[in-house]
Amino acid sequence: MSLQHHCHSCCLTRRQCLQVLSASAVGASLVSVASPALGQDSAAPAQTDFVDAASLRPKPEVRVCGTFLEQPRPYWLGWPGTTYDLDKHQKEYRTLLDQSVARVGIKMDWEPKPIDDDASLGNWIAKVKEQKPHGLLVALQHMQCWKWIERVAKETATPLIVFAPVGTAFTGHVGRAARLPNVHIISSLEWPAVEAGLKMVKAKRMFEETRVLWIRGKDSNETVMDRLGVKIRSIPRDTFNLEFDKQLATDEVKDMASDLRKKAQKIVEPDETDAVNSMRAYVTAKRLMAAEKACAISMDCLGMVSARLVPTPPCGGWTLLQDQGLTAGCEADLFGAISMMMTSYLLDRPGYMNDPVPETVKNLLIAAHCTSGTRIAGFDQPAAPYILRDHSESSLGVAMQVLWPVGEPVTLVRFTSPNEMIIDTGKVVSNVETPPAGGCRTSVEIAMDNIEDCRDVKGFHQVVVLGNHRRVLQGFCELYGIKHVHSPQLSTFAEGAQT
Amino acid sequence: MKSLTASLLAVPPFGAGLPTSPKPPAVGLPLQQPSFPACCQPFAQQAAFCFSLLMFATMAIAAEPISIHSPGFPPSALDAEGRLVEDWGSVGVTLSGDGVADGPTTLQAIKLDNLVPAAQATTNRGAVRLIRTAFRAPAFPSGVDVLTVRLEEARGRPAEVTLGLDLPAKSVFGLRTVRLGGRVILTLTDESLDNRPQRDWGYCDEATSLPGWAKPAVECDPAFRNIRAGMGGVPILYRFAVEPKSAANVVLGLCESHWAEAGQRPLSCRVEGAAAQTVDAVGKWGQHKPGALIFAGRDENGDGKLEVVVRPAAGAKDRNPILNAIWIFPAGESPNLQRLISGALRGAALRYVDVGGENDQSIYPPGKLEYDIKLAQGGAHELTFFVACPGSSAPTPDTSTWTAVTLRRAAHDVWRDWPKK
Repeated sequence: MSLQHHCHSCCLTRRQCLQVLSASAVGASLVSVASPALGQDSAAPAQTDFVDAASLRPKPEVRVCGTFLEQPRPYWLGWPGTTYDLDKHQKEYRTLLDQSVARVGIKMDWEPKPIDDDASLGNWIAKVKEQKPHGLLVALQHMQCWKWIERVAKETATPLIVFAPVGTAFTGHVGRAARLPNVHIISSLEWPAVEAGLKMVKAKRMFEETRVLWIRGKDSNETVMDRLGVKIRSIPRDTFNLEFDKQLATDEVKDMASDLRKKAQKIVEPDETDAVNSMRAYVTAKRLMAAEKACAISMDCLGMVSARLVPTPPCGGWTLLQDQGLTAGCEADLFGAISMMMTSYLLDRPGYMNDPVPETVKNLLIAAHCTSGTRIAGFDQPAAPYILRDHSESSLGVAMQVLWPVGEPVTLVRFTSPNEMIIDTGKVVSNVETPPAGGCRTSVEIAMDNIEDCRDVKGFHQVVVLGNHRRVLQGFCELYGIKHVHSPQLSTFAEGAQT
Repeated sequence: MKSLTASLLAVPPFGAGLPTSPKPPAVGLPLQQPSFPACCQPFAQQAAFCFSLLMFATMAIAAEPISIHSPGFPPSALDAEGRLVEDWGSVGVTLSGDGVADGPTTLQAIKLDNLVPAAQATTNRGAVRLIRTAFRAPAFPSGVDVLTVRLEEARGRPAEVTLGLDLPAKSVFGLRTVRLGGRVILTLTDESLDNRPQRDWGYCDEATSLPGWAKPAVECDPAFRNIRAGMGGVPILYRFAVEPKSAANVVLGLCESHWAEAGQRPLSCRVEGAAAQTVDAVGKWGQHKPGALIFAGRDENGDGKLEVVVRPAAGAKDRNPILNAIWIFPAGESPNLQRLISGALRGAALRYVDVGGENDQSIYPPGKLEYDIKLAQGGAHELTFFVACPGSSAPTPDTSTWTAVTLRRAAHDVWRDWPKK
């Protein structure tokens, strides 16, 4: 493997180049504002310093209260009908619920007896107001119970999931209740949808327990995002390259670099030093997050590379962070990072924020970037194959070309603000090679669903995630008062030029 | 026409490009700014504000203002009189009523929840004790100040007082917000909505006035040039004082000047007591063509207010409702709409509103927000307001979920984890 450095615009050796870059970083640090936790004079990490990535992922306490709602027994006429075996169904749902609660990792306070009259409902509402849980789950056992849903929603002012097994609701019931704020209705026999509802409550709590490091400019401050509750700690951009300079090629770094190369399906540009530098960036990011009590990062990486402050873009390291459930966003795009958190926290899988390119001949969307995770089917699932490439725009460092499974469904998700989310879906058609194409290394062609013209796809840096998760994401939006929108179904280009 | 051009330049092109995701009007900074280069303006504003705070502190030696801030952001201050001083001006509290007297104010720095720095001003005002507490909440992106005004009965017997917020004279009062030059400087929380005095007519919404927006292509009433617009789907809402249960003929005037084709901005127009009408102004009259709709209105709920509401119709691609003019005529008096559109009936109407134009007004009087408060013996009452701090606007209730509780929790979390040097 060649050790020739990739800084093509100069005639320095790799070592000289790194020395220049480090010196310029030190110079820059003299005028920068320090990060809150590390300051400008933080010590270099020791060889043995180690930050466990798993310890950084938020682990919030999640408390949910729940109950069955039924009418006084025995049932006679009216849905679900006299033949509906209440005890049998409730036993079955309690078993499923216990399993889901254990899987999702939440605390459930389920009423021992079903609620069947106004007085009992009032008592339960009073208890909920006292306990202030993070969410509510009610399972309807009679169509006459819908009258209580609005009362529960209004009086508790707590996000409410309503499970209405088939036989307990008509469209009118569901349509009306589903328009109440902070209510998610599951009118179905599909229990996994109930578990997904519990995961929505957990995901919201994970947002609330998240501090994202926003590494850009020279500011040092902290704010909190409306609605989602994510804490945003701004730290100066120089913090990262200063800490990177201090980061030695520890055993952890070397092992990770070796692993990165071993697991690659193919290595094209990067050499061993590139892999080591890439893993120095990974470990630096973990150290920074630990020091700042953060569990996500969003960095002005392009600015840093453009100013030649680091010998490698962070792409390779960012991929590993995504695979470990830690959001690592590109270009200091805050809502891009928050969209990545959405897939990580709710869907348990990494996505990647992309630059969207319309392929107008085949009417496809090409989603391209350099930081796709590899565990795209789930954090606990086998990794997708990848080719080790460099960051194409700079020809530096390590970026993965992750090969997405052709024919599989994908979802594109993007918060435009805390109040609106774009959700679109499609299917992977191919992985685009660079070259012949330019642009980013992971480059996936997608046939979009229900979008007549690929030029109409909304958003930028939408997060691509494996699987069709439209309904779950919509449910999350409805539970937390977020408007969900999608790209136009019919072409907006059909009428030609617009003045 | 100069002012018309200026007003058009001051707002984004209405409905342009993104009919389903409209951009809100530019807010955040007062329209009247010193002429610094654009890149320097944030620094210049902060420097000027800090300088004014410094000058103020120098002058008020007797009682130093107490600053409040959030990590990394410029401060605001509570001054010796208990006024919260911001970069746009200041907000103070006035009190009047039986037994209310003047008294000295004591100022102190406190920590909320033993953590969040706050400033508190306390004044014994005879019948009541007035306590103003302010802290900076770290709401993204630049924070917001939270001002709590607490009144405590102090003489051992019930008290009735009028509490007012003293704001800059040019403040414009909406249903939930107070704006200054387009910037939201104050947001009213849920508990701060009741008991406010009202004029006998005016808008009570969060829509935006856009004078000169429309370009009627025919000679017509000048009101057709101006609009109010509910950016982002906000309804346009007017209330008119009438005899309870009385009836009136109400005419709404519309002129669409953005869309050339029909079907873009259908509107749902409702006048209390009359059947709602859905109208697509371009489809019915054409672009730049003024038109009018008549309603047989009635104070149906008997509250002495006749309500007019314009919303986006169901399925509207452009979700920003507009309204140009309102005329109110006595019941049974059916105006000739051609003459009305031409401008001939302005003087004949019981009420004529140039919506978004010169004779338009908020239903809330300018300059002061007032509340009539009754305190039981030993009782207390609290009002909370969100106040724009340097470089920010106060959150707008239409899109924000912030409450006093969640803002305080946010401040707590940030100060708890902010490194102590």
